[in-house]
Amino acid sequence: MQYFMQLLISGLAIGAIYGLIAMGFAVIYKSTGLVNFAQGEMTMITAYIAWTISTTVSGNMFVVALGAILAAVVLGLVIERVVMRPMLGEPVFATVMVTIGLAVILRSSINFIWDAYPHGLDVGFGRTIVRIGTIGVRTGQIAVIVTLLALLVAIWAFFRYSKIGVAMRAVAADDRTALLMGISATRVHALAWAASSVIAGIGGVFFALSYDLSPAMFQLGLKAFPATILGGLDAVLGSGLGGLLIGITENLAGGYVGSGMKEVAGFAMIIVVLMIRPFGIFGERDIERV
Amino acid sequence: MRTGDFKQTYGELVTLVDSPPVWLWSALLLAGLIAAPFVLNSYALSFLMIILITVVGTLGLNILTGYTGLISLGHVGFLVTGAYAYAVLVSKYQMHPLVGFLGAGVVPALASLIVGAPSLRLKGLYLAITTLAFSFIINTVILEARWLTNGARGISVQRPEIFGLSFDSDAAFTWLCLGFAILTLFAALNIRRSRVGRAFVAIRDNDTAARVMGINLHAYKLFAFVTSAFITGLSGALYGIYLSFVSVEGFPFLLSIEALAILIVGGLGSALGAVLGTVLIVLLPEATRFVFSLFSAQIDATFTTGAQELKSMLYGLVIILFLRFQPRGLVGAWHDIRRMWVNWPLRY
Repeated sequence: MQYFMQLLISGLAIGAIYGLIAMGFAVIYKSTGLVNFAQGEMTMITAYIAWTISTTVSGNMFVVALGAILAAVVLGLVIERVVMRPMLGEPVFATVMVTIGLAVILRSSINFIWDAYPHGLDVGFGRTIVRIGTIGVRTGQIAVIVTLLALLVAIWAFFRYSKIGVAMRAVAADDRTALLMGISATRVHALAWAASSVIAGIGGVFFALSYDLSPAMFQLGLKAFPATILGGLDAVLGSGLGGLLIGITENLAGGYVGSGMKEVAGFAMIIVVLMIRPFGIFGERDIERV
Repeated sequence: MRTGDFKQTYGELVTLVDSPPVWLWSALLLAGLIAAPFVLNSYALSFLMIILITVVGTLGLNILTGYTGLISLGHVGFLVTGAYAYAVLVSKYQMHPLVGFLGAGVVPALASLIVGAPSLRLKGLYLAITTLAFSFIINTVILEARWLTNGARGISVQRPEIFGLSFDSDAAFTWLCLGFAILTLFAALNIRRSRVGRAFVAIRDNDTAARVMGINLHAYKLFAFVTSAFITGLSGALYGIYLSFVSVEGFPFLLSIEALAILIVGGLGSALGAVLGTVLIVLLPEATRFVFSLFSAQIDATFTTGAQELKSMLYGLVIILFLRFQPRGLVGAWHDIRRMWVNWPLRY
């Protein structure tokens, strides 16, 4: 039982990181209609920038957090402006391939800007172990779960009540009508990229806190795919919960079946889910008009 | 005076080549390729081999992504299945190499049925992600099935000997690859101009309309998957023989991206594009390196240390630039040039 609880808790923690990145996917998909294959790489770069701040400027937790968020905003805005905006109005296939090209470039840029060795992000927080009953949990793991839940609520409120959130939903639902209503689609896209970059970046920084930074971190993006597919590409909250589900499944499969299963449990799960509900658990069914 | 390229019968629309000189040029190119191993040194010859092997694989992907419009991010999965099928049959069970090649086609084709079946309900991005998932799952399956595949240790593969002909030397292996490339090229071109090929293109352009016209979407999509996987598997077997060692690490995920980059650069949905794209992408890192080494030795050194990273960066850059400025690829550019040549000084 204790082994099970231990797996469950660490599954929740890694799942929360997947969930954050999956929410990043969903925010972009919801407002621009494309899957950003460079999400994992953007996450990794934000985490690396956080590490650079912690080693060069100050190891203070709040300075690092603020710096990382600012960096993520800038990263998202720059990518949207330089790479994605010229592709506006092109077919989805072309735009998605552009994000794949971007992913490959960002991934290899890590080795040029930083180096190929793993680093630990140390801000004096996150690695101490707290005991809940008989189970040891790291504070970083608790923090990431709390952050995910807080963000889920915040994003739900944002899309439900704020004017910008409603504008984003309008653009996602029908961009032409939204344009006629006076909503600037490019501004909404820019905002979506920035927001997605920040949300995923938070996940990346938490990953670096609990584990290590390495150039292989972009694989987090691949791991978060199943989460967002499970939740539905257009369901931001569903993606967050999908992440938790994938994290738990993965850890239980790894703990009880074998380490090989851990790697692919998420992928196997989405193939099954997509066979039953091709638009995700919480996703909206796409009705095609002829 | 030739004023344009007019087709007057349906027969003319589906001929393999529309003007006789093309046969002459193709024959000359073929003669050149056959003679190449006598002229080139072994370094240049290795590039020729890679190009020929990659052409086979990209033509395979082109049937699925280019003709039928189903995006696959997991083609490296079929590549690695083909390579392992060949290695297991020939190296482990000492079967005849031809049986090995047959297996290298059939096993990925069977695997593609497993991937293809759930994919029938999926569209676009969801499909791309499912194929991506497949390529990761297949890697784990190969690593776990140690009794068959030696797990992470991999299998070493000898160059084949078929009916007393040894393909051990570089020259002979190049000819073997050339044979495969030509056969695949003809297969791809003939599929495209047949009833099946037209059905593929109809599905790509508008699947609802295709269905209304009586095209069985499920059957044709599966057929595209199977054909594509069969050809890609053959390419995987050749690549395994070229590496002389088959392991999961030898087939990184980047190969899937590389194949898509080739299709985009060449021009999606065109066999000629797949060939042109392959030549460009395979030679690109080497060409860039050559250009930069003219300027400074230090950059040349960076190329040696960070070769893999620079290579992937170039792929990414080329994908983005082509999609932005020349979405129809090299084939599109070639068509524009040809039209300009015929119509000059008029624009149309």
